[in-house]
Amino acid sequence: YLIFHGFYAEEKLIENLASMSTSERIKEIQKMPETMKIKREIRNKVLKEIRKQSRHHRAQLSCCTQCLQGTAVSFRRFRNSLSEYFDLLQFWHKTLKIIGAEFGTSVLSYFIFLKWLLNFNIFSFLVNFSFITIPQFLAAEPNNLSFTGLELFTGAGYFQQTVLYYGFYTNATISKIKNGPSYNMQLAYIFTVGIYFVICFLILVFSMAKSFCRNFLNTQTYTGNASKLLCTWDFNITNQKAVKLKQKNLGTQIKEDLIEVNREVLNFSVTERVVHIVIHLVSWLASLGTAVAACAAVYFLSVNNLKLFVKGHKNDLENQAAMLVLPIVTSLLNAFIPFFYSWLGRMERLQTPGHQIYVTITRNIILKISIVGILCYYWLDIVAASESQCWETLVGQDIYRLVLVDFIFCLLGSLFGEFLRRIIGTTVCVNLGLPEFDIGRNVLDLIYAQTLTWIGILFSPVLPGIQTISFSIVLFVKKVSLMTNCQPPRKVWRTAQMTTSFIFLLFFPSFLGVLCVIGVTVWRLKPSEKCGPFRGLSSMYAAVSEWIKILENYTASKWVVWIYYNLIKSELFFFILSAVVLIVSYLYWQIIEGRRTMTKLLQKQIIH
Amino acid sequence: MGNKQTIFTPEQLDAYQDCTFFTRKEILRLFYRYRDLAPQLVPLDYTDKPEVTLPYELIGSMPELKDNPFRQRIAEVFSQDGDGNMTLDDFLDMFSVLSEMAPRDLKAYYAFKIYDFNNDDYICKSDLEKTVNKLTRNELTPEEVSLVCEKVIYEADADNDGKLSLEDFQHMIVRAPDFL
Repeated sequence: YLIFHGFYAEEKLIENLASMSTSERIKEIQKMPETMKIKREIRNKVLKEIRKQSRHHRAQLSCCTQCLQGTAVSFRRFRNSLSEYFDLLQFWHKTLKIIGAEFGTSVLSYFIFLKWLLNFNIFSFLVNFSFITIPQFLAAEPNNLSFTGLELFTGAGYFQQTVLYYGFYTNATISKIKNGPSYNMQLAYIFTVGIYFVICFLILVFSMAKSFCRNFLNTQTYTGNASKLLCTWDFNITNQKAVKLKQKNLGTQIKEDLIEVNREVLNFSVTERVVHIVIHLVSWLASLGTAVAACAAVYFLSVNNLKLFVKGHKNDLENQAAMLVLPIVTSLLNAFIPFFYSWLGRMERLQTPGHQIYVTITRNIILKISIVGILCYYWLDIVAASESQCWETLVGQDIYRLVLVDFIFCLLGSLFGEFLRRIIGTTVCVNLGLPEFDIGRNVLDLIYAQTLTWIGILFSPVLPGIQTISFSIVLFVKKVSLMTNCQPPRKVWRTAQMTTSFIFLLFFPSFLGVLCVIGVTVWRLKPSEKCGPFRGLSSMYAAVSEWIKILENYTASKWVVWIYYNLIKSELFFFILSAVVLIVSYLYWQIIEGRRTMTKLLQKQIIH
Repeated sequence: MGNKQTIFTPEQLDAYQDCTFFTRKEILRLFYRYRDLAPQLVPLDYTDKPEVTLPYELIGSMPELKDNPFRQRIAEVFSQDGDGNMTLDDFLDMFSVLSEMAPRDLKAYYAFKIYDFNNDDYICKSDLEKTVNKLTRNELTPEEVSLVCEKVIYEADADNDGKLSLEDFQHMIVRAPDFL
């Protein structure tokens, strides 16, 4: 690099580096592909050059600039030492490295996704806890109910009168000191939840865009053999067995590719094609039919559940146990129907195994989304209109039970799916072998749990905290189960594209669906009369409109009122905004197309 | 951590911090790993810049490299004499490039050198054949290996000279998101 370009180029390089700011210069030196000796020489020369220049300019440097430079240097040193201490907090760093080393990056991506969701939940718990729950503690009413152990499972009983549920929150303006600052609980509740969802939306959109940009846009040109050969070796793996396995996989994959090339053209006869299409149709019908049947079962059970609430005695032990039937049946359906789908996928014998995986995952997503959808319909349409005292607390309790039972089933799934399967695979039926870690199913389970949590935030503000605890336990249990029971995956997963799909799945059906549900709840549904921060209002959103009406009387806040009426309430503004976004996206798309044509032309020129 | 270490002068540590992607603590930890390979050869005092080289056999026995099929090439690329015997500078350099903080084009540059077995700045067909054999541990027959190498060169060679130059390789790596 440098040896070829000679002495003159080195001088220019040093001049360039001396004129950059310190952090940029350090980054440049770090990025240079030279040996340490040469880099050190260059660095020393650059520092000498800077000292020479500063001596030159020292007369012109005022005291202020020197002070600033001194503070900048000490600030950078402080930041370096602080980042060393921050590393102590990353106690999962070592565990993740070990998982990546033994099982490869595809399994690691599941754990990184889990950790990301865990951070998300910690953030939402902190937000909700500080803005909603802590003020409520100051204005808490005494709890008259007794605590029996069963409440941990059913979420009813003693917990009904705690901060766990929406119903406990007051609608008053809390002020401990007379004539001191007051805290309007209604506004706090709706604004906290609203701003939290906006922040989530932005975070998800940015992560998705970043991931998509990095992993999808450029791969269309080189997805062939070259990249498979030279880029798929996972340098993270350090376990000897895993290395041998990876080598064997790569060999098998290359062989398969060569064979595929030799029989690219396969002419199916007409009857075979018709049979294929009929088989596809039948399996899709079967899977959709199972999903519909599951939804009907869930709906029937939930209507029954409501009858138990409204008619039965609330603290009866039998009744409380009966309340658990709905979540247990839902989790059972979620656990066993995917096996049916995988069996269907194997029966179909689609062209490529990759295709089969995508079809199975799509069917699973449809199942889970329909179950969540039917539950939301039940909650928003039936529970909200029922004669119960506090329907939001009922919904909150339902969600709490669902989350808890889902967590227990996740642990049981690890136990049966991996531990027992390993014992069967090594002792009874040795050709089965060790189980593989099923990444697709586990990720869908995580997304399902996170969807429930997001729906539940409005009805049970402490739910993200509970989900944090459950995710931490799941992380630990899955890691232990992985290390003791599983073998590295045999298929070669395209990890980077998978990570993008995870975030996309989290955003598109899950988060947007939750936004719709929350939107309907806040705008359309009538809150209960006797409990919660919005009691007596016509809708939860009415709190904001009433507040705006109050603000109209103060001249100092006229701009807030103006923004509200002309930007948020007016349809014209949103129409203009969408039109602008569409036009900008179209322009960007055209620019990308133009650049792609340019690249093709230039490539042709290089060849000739 | 404080300034209590006596292995390096503060200027040396600063220089290492500026030239690699590691923090002070990590540099000291790597020094101790280097020393653990041969405690009798490596002095505890580097302030006078001793010329200590560890032979390839010791480097290749490190748990991170021991099972990597390319460990010999990695050591050769990063060592000063091209034989795999590394000084502390080479050692830090190697781990800096292999760490997750190094940018992709830097890794791509060194990956190119690792795959270039005959050190002629081009990956020709024989280099690719050796790579494929190391990656698949002699599972494929020589005809299959040859066929694969031809396909790779056909796909990635942009200037059509029958071998891959650094630009071809970097162009391909930058577009493959799975490269680690």
